[in-house]
Order: sequence, then C-alpha cells, then structure tokens
Amino acid sequence: MKRRAFMLSVGGVAAGMVLLPRLALAEAGKIDWYTGSDQNILDFWTNIVKPKFEAANPGITLNLVDGGDNAGLQSIAERAVAAMQTKTDPQADYFETFDPRLPAGGIEAGLWVNMKEAGLSNYSKVNPLAFDGDYSLPYRGSQVLLAYDTTKLAPADAPKTFADLVAWIKANPGQFIYNRPDKGGSGGNFVRRAIYEANGRDVNVFKIDNYTQAFGDETLGKGWEVLKDLAGSLFDNGAYTSGNTQSIQLLSQGAVTMIPAWSDQAIQAINTGVLPETTGLVQLTDLGLPGGFSRSTLLSNGVNKDASLKLADFILTEEIQSAVLTELGGFPGVSWDYISADLREKFKDVIPTTIPVFPGGDWEKAINDGWYRNVAPNVDRNA
Amino acid sequence: MTTTPAIDIVGTKKSGRPIGLLLVAAPVLLVCWMVIWPIISAIARTVWLPNEGSGRSFSLETYAFFFSDQYSINNLTVTLWTTGVTALLLLLICLPIALYLRFAKGRLAAYVQGLAIFPMFVPSIILSYAVIRVLGPNGTVDLLLNSVGLPHIRSPYLTPWGPVIGLVWDNIPLTVLILLSGLGNVSNQSIEAARDVGAGRFALLWHIILPRISNSILVAVSFTVLGIFSAFTLPYVLGPAAPEMMGPFMQRTFRDLNDPTNAITQAVIAFAFCIVFGLFYVRSVAKNRAP
Repeated sequence: MKRRAFMLSVGGVAAGMVLLPRLALAEAGKIDWYTGSDQNILDFWTNIVKPKFEAANPGITLNLVDGGDNAGLQSIAERAVAAMQTKTDPQADYFETFDPRLPAGGIEAGLWVNMKEAGLSNYSKVNPLAFDGDYSLPYRGSQVLLAYDTTKLAPADAPKTFADLVAWIKANPGQFIYNRPDKGGSGGNFVRRAIYEANGRDVNVFKIDNYTQAFGDETLGKGWEVLKDLAGSLFDNGAYTSGNTQSIQLLSQGAVTMIPAWSDQAIQAINTGVLPETTGLVQLTDLGLPGGFSRSTLLSNGVNKDASLKLADFILTEEIQSAVLTELGGFPGVSWDYISADLREKFKDVIPTTIPVFPGGDWEKAINDGWYRNVAPNVDRNA
Repeated sequence: MTTTPAIDIVGTKKSGRPIGLLLVAAPVLLVCWMVIWPIISAIARTVWLPNEGSGRSFSLETYAFFFSDQYSINNLTVTLWTTGVTALLLLLICLPIALYLRFAKGRLAAYVQGLAIFPMFVPSIILSYAVIRVLGPNGTVDLLLNSVGLPHIRSPYLTPWGPVIGLVWDNIPLTVLILLSGLGNVSNQSIEAARDVGAGRFALLWHIILPRISNSILVAVSFTVLGIFSAFTLPYVLGPAAPEMMGPFMQRTFRDLNDPTNAITQAVIAFAFCIVFGLFYVRSVAKNRAP
C-alpha cells in the first residue's frame, strides 16, 4: 500500500510539473518563428529550412511554432504591439506569412522591419510581381491552375482560354467541379477568374478600396451570370465540393476530368501519388487564374532581430528557393532567372508571367455571400 | 407505535445537506456562466442593436431579415428536414439492433454490439472522407455494383442525403446505448408471462416492450435531435453548397461574412428549436425522478 501511495504521489508531482505554466522568456540566438499556414508549410520548414539554416549559422536555432491560423498570428502581433508600448520582450521574431497592415497602425508604430531598407543581400532577386509594400518579404507563391486527367483529355486539347474552358465544360457535362469560393482558394480563384472574364478581363477594375454596393452588384452580377450558365454542366448537375482537398479527391477517383487546383497542392499531390502521374496541369493564357504570394514579416522589437534578418536573407538563396519549387510545389519568391536552368525547363508550363491578385476586404465578403445566394441555389439538381 | 421514518438508516440527516448543495454548486455555476449567460447575452445582442445615432435601441430587424430571406428559410427548412429524417431512420435502425442485443446471447451478439458501438470512436472528419470513398462517385459501392454489371447509382455525396447517411451512422452508438438501457427495464418474467398467455412477437413488442421503453425512446430522440441540429462537420463536407444546414451557415456568416449579429440571430433561432426537444428530455427525466 505504501509503495502504491508513493507511486501515486510521484506520478502526481510529475504530472503537475508538466502542466505548470512554464515561464517563457525569449532566448538570445533562438528565433521564435510563427506560422498560420497549413501543415505542409510547417513540414517544409521543419525538414528543410531549419536543418539547413542551423547548419549554416552555428549558434542560432529556430523555434518553429504553429500559430494555428491567421487569427492566431494576429493575436501574437497584438501582443507584440503591447510589448512595444511597455518595452518588454514580445517573445516573437518572425512571422512566416502575415499582412503587415494588421494590426491597424502597426507599420506607423514601427512594429515591422522595413525589408527594403534592411540591407538583405538577396532582396534585389525578389520577383517584382510579388511585392506588396516594403514591410513584408515575398518568399513563395502559389497560383490556381487547371489539373486534368490526361487519359481522358489529351494535353493538346486542354483549354487555353476561359472561353475554351467554358466550351469544354459544356461539351463534357459532369466532368468539371470547383469548390465553394469561401472554402478554399482553388474554387475561390476560379470564381474570381470568371468575374474577371465577365468584366472584360481587366484586373484593374477591382481594387481593395473601390468596393461599393452598387458597383459590386453590377460587376459581380455579371460574374454570377457566367457561373450560373456553367452550373448545369458541372459534376452532378451543379455540385460544389467543400474544399481544395475534396476536389483533388474527386479527380483522383476519376469522377471528374478537370478541376481548378492550387499549383503547390497539385504538384505535391502528384509527387506523393495522391494524383496519378497522368495528371496534366495547364494555365489559361488569356489571363491566368488568380493566385498570390506569401510574405514573411519580422518584428522590429524581437530579441533576435539580427538573426531573423539572416534567416530572411537565407530563405531567398537559390538552395531554399529551388526547394520551394521541388519540395513544396510552390513558386519561388525570387525571379525565375535565379532558379537553376533545369528546374526552369521542368516547370515551364506553370511559370506564371502574370499572377492576377484579386483584392480582399469588402470584395471577398461580397463574393462569398453573393455566390451562395446567386450561384449555388439557382440550379435544378435533379434535371 | 410511532411511524417516524428511519432517517438514521437512509442517511438523510439534515447535517448532510450543505455538502450536497456544495457538490451541485460547481456544475450549476458552470452552467450559468458558460450556457445561461451566453444565451442571455446572445439574445440581448440581437435585439438591442446600434441605431443611427450613437446609442443602441430595441429592434427585431435581424429576426425580420431571417424570416423574410428565402435563402435563410431554405437553410432552416433543410436543417429541420435532415433532423427529422435522420431521427426517424435512427429509430428504425437502432430499435431492432437494441432488441436483438437485449434478447440474444452468445458470441455473435458481442460482435454485433462491438460493431454498433464502433462509430463512437471514429472522428466525424474521418467518417466524412470515408463516406466519400465508399459512397462517393466511383467509390467502393459503385465499383462493386459495376463489377456485377449493375448500373451506376447517383451518389448521395454533395446532396442533402450525404449528411443524413453520415449522421445516422455517427449517431447509432448513442441511440443503441440509450435504447438498450431502457430495455433493461423490461423484465424477462413479464415477457415470459405474456408468451404464456399466447402473445405473438408483434403483440409482445407493442403491448409489453414499447410502453416500458417509451421514455428511453424520447430521451434517445431528443439527444440525437440536439446533436443533429447543431451538426457541423458532416453537413459541411458531405452536404450541398445550398441549401446548407444551420451549423455551416452560422459558421460562414460569422467568419466568412464577418457578420456576428446575423450569425448570433441564426444561433438564437436554432436554439429556440433545440429548446423544445430539450424540454422533452427534461420532462421525461423529471417524470422518472418523481416519487
């Protein structure tokens, strides 16, 4: 009995010590890195960037933390603002992908490092298409493209323009599906491409600050007509999957012939065998499907700011940028000239010349709500 | 001769009462803090809206919008339809399983019980993808049918039947367990007695078993209805884009449309429907406890 009591108390104390909130203090030489991206990005950093960077920079270690999602990173950024006001340690140095416009007023308060003036040796290599202000550093990109089954559709016949795509969908009813625009970027950016199509393929029509109810109703309304026209020819008379992954699953099961897909997800799916080797990828040439770049931000009051700058420079080296392409399936953040020639040749079909980026903010909300009210319900599924 | 009850023996001395109250205080406080208070605050936030001036005033605007908006009403209708159909199917499937498990003995019954409880240990997100694999287009069922020369079936995936199938499977364990515990009240003697006077199987079920377990059926139905009404993952992954069930609809309104007031309004309306079934449950429990 005594032994049992002893074991119980030892176990209890041990459990208590594990559960005790540990006093967290940022260590010098340990970069506190946060991400709100998917698991594949965290895996990429854990397996590739971290070992390479630590080997190249003895004395500096990387503490990779999954912040959950963008809202998670935002609360850490807000904590950093508070730390700045009290001149204390924010316990964070590096955000893998974040928008420095958040939290509001952060840039003015000097929260973020100005990447342009930070003196990074590789900064000039960054693809000019990718920049979004001076306070963030683009290092990887991804664009939506069309993934299709080459056993059912010869690559020579794959649609190259949106008009071709519409014609193909109508000629092959039930063979195309895209996901609900708010549930994943592949369907979301397909919907945005249709909206561009309905508005003269002019990417300058939509700006972050020009949304008004009337203008939105008019421009988006034209887009809904294009999509409603397609609905009856989609898979199962107008079904929409609830995410990027589910679309890929339907393609892999051979239930559909073509889907819009994120380039990185599609390339990764092909590499891991989720999609067969016979999967083809094609981008529209009249105007590409939209996409975007992921940009890192650095906290100016982080304890390891200098080490973080070394890391920021490191991820723009050819070694890591090639890995973004080969291991992650994303686009490099640097211009294609800084990628080795054989990789450039291998991925020439998916190298974008332009990446339309649809503005978010009020437009995003209007698209998400408008699609559900106008496109999704107005189709007779039993026809 | 006195008729004083033997308090000493059953142990209801007055001195024991504060401990009982203290024990019950923690859960009651938790319920008040984490359930009752959010309800009150949710209702207040949806009827006490910011007005054109700087203050807030009473308004039923968001509720009027919900009930005048055909899209919202379709979502509510499909939720009620899914809930009703799923609850009915659950009873039709689980009652025979529970009856079998109550009266059968031996190894086979143990396997059936294991199978019936199994869905409890499968997370619904995994279940969703499994349903796509099995019942989805070109899924296992399709392949099996094709291999014996039968035609393609129209897959329930991305139709309102998708979530129904998933929810039925997911809720089988709870329903079976509740019904089984109710069947524990049916004594073997009463059944044998009925058999002795010549009752057939159906008469046995109708006159002896069902009256004894009506309470359990009510509890099972109200439990599953509450779960189905607020289901999220299965309707989200397996259901159609529109109409959508209240769970995904609320989440979308709150997060994608960034419109908490309307999301809370939807939640209050969903809550109003759930409270009806909650009352059924409370009533049946109270009836059981009454001396």
